Amino acid sequence: MSAGLPPGVERVLFTEEQIDRRIREVAAEISRNYSGKVVKLVGVLKGSVFFLTELARHIEIPVKVDFLAISSFSNRSGAPGVVRIAKDLDDSVEGDDVLLVEDIVDTGFTLRYLLQTLAGRAPNSLAVCTFLDRNSRRIVQVPVDYRCFEIPDRFVVGFGLDYNQLYRNLKYVAVMKPDKST
Amino acid sequence: MALIAVSGHPGCRYEEVARITAQRLGFELLTQSRIRALSAEEFGAGADAPVPDKAYPSVVTSILARLATEHHLVYCAVGGELQARHFPGMLRIHVVAPENIRIGNLMLDRRVERPAARQLLLELEAADRQDRKAKFGRTRATAELFDLVVNSESIGAEQIAGMIETAVISGGLREIGYLSRAAEAQLQFQMRLRLSRYGLVPPAKITLRNKMFANQSEEMFANLLDFYRIAWEYEPRSFPVQYDRDGRVLEAFTPDFYLPEVDLYLELTTMKQSLVTKKNRKVRLLRELYPHVNIQVFYQKDFENLVFKYGLAEQPLQA
Repeated sequence: MSAGLPPGVERVLFTEEQIDRRIREVAAEISRNYSGKVVKLVGVLKGSVFFLTELARHIEIPVKVDFLAISSFSNRSGAPGVVRIAKDLDDSVEGDDVLLVEDIVDTGFTLRYLLQTLAGRAPNSLAVCTFLDRNSRRIVQVPVDYRCFEIPDRFVVGFGLDYNQLYRNLKYVAVMKPDKST
Repeated sequence: MALIAVSGHPGCRYEEVARITAQRLGFELLTQSRIRALSAEEFGAGADAPVPDKAYPSVVTSILARLATEHHLVYCAVGGELQARHFPGMLRIHVVAPENIRIGNLMLDRRVERPAARQLLLELEAADRQDRKAKFGRTRATAELFDLVVNSESIGAEQIAGMIETAVISGGLREIGYLSRAAEAQLQFQMRLRLSRYGLVPPAKITLRNKMFANQSEEMFANLLDFYRIAWEYEPRSFPVQYDRDGRVLEAFTPDFYLPEVDLYLELTTMKQSLVTKKNRKVRLLRELYPHVNIQVFYQKDFENLVFKYGLAEQPLQA
């Protein structure tokens, strides 16, 4: 079963074909719901790049694309500070129909901050589309309008999701071995 | 001592400004809920015997005076600008924002549609006016009551906190030192006179329970919540879960964290499985006895995965 998988990867959770099929379904739903409008896809760097690209290719209405990135938490340097926008959007979203595109939603911490930030910029509408939804870890309830897959409480990589910045380029989503480093 | 009073229009998230300011300056944050808890603990005031509205300013001043002998404070509650005038190193901040921004904030914070958020804003504004009138005899907080009025439409909470930090530094508020015992005694005397009309006696000592976490995991989790600007309270409430025949509490359960913005209690269990079983029983009892209370348990595996996700461990620890 694990033949041909990179080191540290336990098994494939979603194959390339499953991902392609599901993204087409979600893209069709988005195309229907935003019919007659221009949807602005806002991707959160870096994880959502692969998903956003694939999603955008299958959406059949006019699409604009922009990206932002937020600072990451680290407890190592003592005071952790507070989350902030590390790379802001290139263009205003005022009056736009914004669809925030995430690779994964789990605790809801990041998404809550992003929604608060974007809502303050007066978009016409604001919705969320995530590739993976790990609902079992949710602490802060956040609205998720479109999701491709719900996943179990396991560490996953591939299709944009990383382990120490590696594995993002896998065409499938895979579960990491718990004892990966040994 | 420095006393930074932060208030604002409903829906403009001035609470977040207060929280970040306290974090940046290393000051103690006193919110409305913390004042309520302190007045309940120290004055015996609670839901069954609330502090009369007219006595409220004196109760708060008494609490602030006591704490100001040992702490610099960020005070975030309605009428803070009026309370602050009793203290030497005051800085009064008012955060405002256009209505559409505040409606947008409420839509997200309360998860409601725009019409409901607009209605909610009207209700919050009316409640704010009523509260201010009942406690301080005036319905509005006008600009001349503040040292700094900030429009948060295009300035984020962190930037505003940066402005406040600059004002504290340039004004030398820290250098004033804590409130002297003599100044505190004088204030307490005045407050004692006023509170005697309502049968309230200021306590001999009010202490702030510092954030003493039971273990490193809790502290790390608190840091994580701070990072994401999520308000939290540490062990704010104990729930009796077992009584004897005479109604005496035999067993109580105190969840580790409460997140007031999402009305959620969180319990971290980073311990042995045998102890987890005991804790699970308490959580089950709590859910049965207090069905309206939202509680989520974070088991060791959940927590370790979270720790890994946020870069605090070198490898995923999930089983």
